[in-house]
Amino acid sequence: MHHGIRRRDFLAVSAGSFALTRCSLMRGREPQSRVSIVRAAYTQSIYDTVRRLLVEHRVDVRGKRVVVKPNLVEFDPSTVINTHPMLVHAALEGFRAMGAADVRIAEGPGHRRVTMDLAEAAGYFETIPHFEDLFVDLNLDDVSQVLLRDPFSRLNSMYFPNTALGADLLVSLPKMKTHHWVGATLSMKNFFGLVPGSVYGWPKNVLHWAGIDECIADLYATFPRHFAIVDGIVGMEGNGPIQGKPKPVGVLVAGKDLAAVDATCCRIMKIKPAAIRYLMLSAGPRQLGESNILQIGENIAHVQTPFGLMEEWRDIRL
Amino acid sequence: MDVASITSLQNRDGGWPYRKGGGSSTEPTVLALLAQSIDQGDPQSIERGLAWLRVTQRQDGGWAPQPQVSQSTWVTALAALLPRDALGASRHARAIDWLMGQTGREASLVYKLRNELLGEGGGVIGKHEGWPFFPGAAAWVTPSAISILALEKARRYKMAGGIQERIEIGQQFLMDRICQDGGWNYGRANVLGVDADSYPETTGQALLALHGVRGAKLEKALAAAQAQAQRCRSAEGLSWLQLGLQAHGITAVGPAKVLPNRHVADTSLGILARAALSGRNLFLE
Repeated sequence: MHHGIRRRDFLAVSAGSFALTRCSLMRGREPQSRVSIVRAAYTQSIYDTVRRLLVEHRVDVRGKRVVVKPNLVEFDPSTVINTHPMLVHAALEGFRAMGAADVRIAEGPGHRRVTMDLAEAAGYFETIPHFEDLFVDLNLDDVSQVLLRDPFSRLNSMYFPNTALGADLLVSLPKMKTHHWVGATLSMKNFFGLVPGSVYGWPKNVLHWAGIDECIADLYATFPRHFAIVDGIVGMEGNGPIQGKPKPVGVLVAGKDLAAVDATCCRIMKIKPAAIRYLMLSAGPRQLGESNILQIGENIAHVQTPFGLMEEWRDIRL
Repeated sequence: MDVASITSLQNRDGGWPYRKGGGSSTEPTVLALLAQSIDQGDPQSIERGLAWLRVTQRQDGGWAPQPQVSQSTWVTALAALLPRDALGASRHARAIDWLMGQTGREASLVYKLRNELLGEGGGVIGKHEGWPFFPGAAAWVTPSAISILALEKARRYKMAGGIQERIEIGQQFLMDRICQDGGWNYGRANVLGVDADSYPETTGQALLALHGVRGAKLEKALAAAQAQAQRCRSAEGLSWLQLGLQAHGITAVGPAKVLPNRHVADTSLGILARAALSGRNLFLE
């Protein structure tokens, strides 16, 4: 076990150095990324809260096609695996109110092929009017091949659902959770659900062989027009993303820079952002640094809630 | 939905989409054809569907999930479930050859050697060969179960050598992957030392592929499947359970609530499951 942790630390440092070089060369000096932390609850007030977040971040969706991507994985009434349907509905209504031409909800679960049935069990049908008409099962969508430019993983190309490829804005709505393979699953890891099961299977195991962290970084690079609102009202700690325990935090975290959003979530969860390998690959330590992130709303220290970590991940504790 | 509604969703190119308005895909096309073949389908519709499959078969003998994908995958096993005469004997034989050439990556010598060197050998991973969804990835329950069923049909035609051995090893693969609760999930019974729960759809598929197998583990699986059927929330899941349990002579009792069919594949499976409950299980014919 110790051997595995040392190896992961080594890889994280190596990847970080490489990513730093890459980002520095490509982007030069980065401006500060704005990330909001707001207190929220699964009540009617969430609709106003989400609307304010969209205004605050000047998300211009007038006349655009928006795809809202929750984290819908599995249903277990004893825990909180999925993005709460009220947040998904609030985002849908918020983007409509902001003038979006079309707003779809889309997801492609990694283990189960009965997506609509999962959605029904998770309360999506009950909470979101006309859900079935608004929802696209990304696992069963028509696909197109995309060549990966300068990929982090071993893959040169991937197939993606046309619904996701055609979006002017892809909105990641993940659950704030720990994850047994990558440490934490947040807005960037949520992009795994864009990979079509009809092509790669259930699970999307090709990505595991190509490197989970590397594939997350590739997905992030492939879908650059994005926004994130993380459901941290009740997250999941321990053996996530499915078998962990509910962890109430009472916040939503939002922003246009998904790496900065995820780094902020990590700090709230009391996890070192630099220990999350896909974040280092995608952004590098400077972009993840607190000095690079303009925090809006609640102070991290006021909402910080240490998430329980599996033994294998104890070294990522902030 | 019934057979007529499935026929109405057929695309102009002869294939079927997963959902109305989508492009033709191999999986719903095969399932729609199987459903039509059992329930007085439209002969013209069936022939157009078969023609689409003949055209989309790839040079290597396999099928891609959609024509725009340039890789044969597990859906080849589904296509090989169709009657040999309907598909064409040589096309069917090439599909079986493709299937016989596929194994999970974890069964490779290199991977086993790596595991031994890292001290991670000795578990069920790589012990028996199954089939992957996508070439080069690990083997999982669904593609393994469907491949076993396809090879069982092929065995009757005395095709490629080694078929019986692959079937038996594939069945052992399924037995390796049984969950603590008695059923099957996607193929991982334990993740980092924690038992994982089984799913209705994969439990039904595994039971179908294990028809004729007996033993205490199977008895536990059959009990788990019957319990799953009663609390099942998915029409697709219930159909697979009904098919799997019927293969062992058991009629599954579903929940009181009527479960909606949502697309071509689950509607077709519903028809196939109904037929199985009436004594005709097309997956085993």
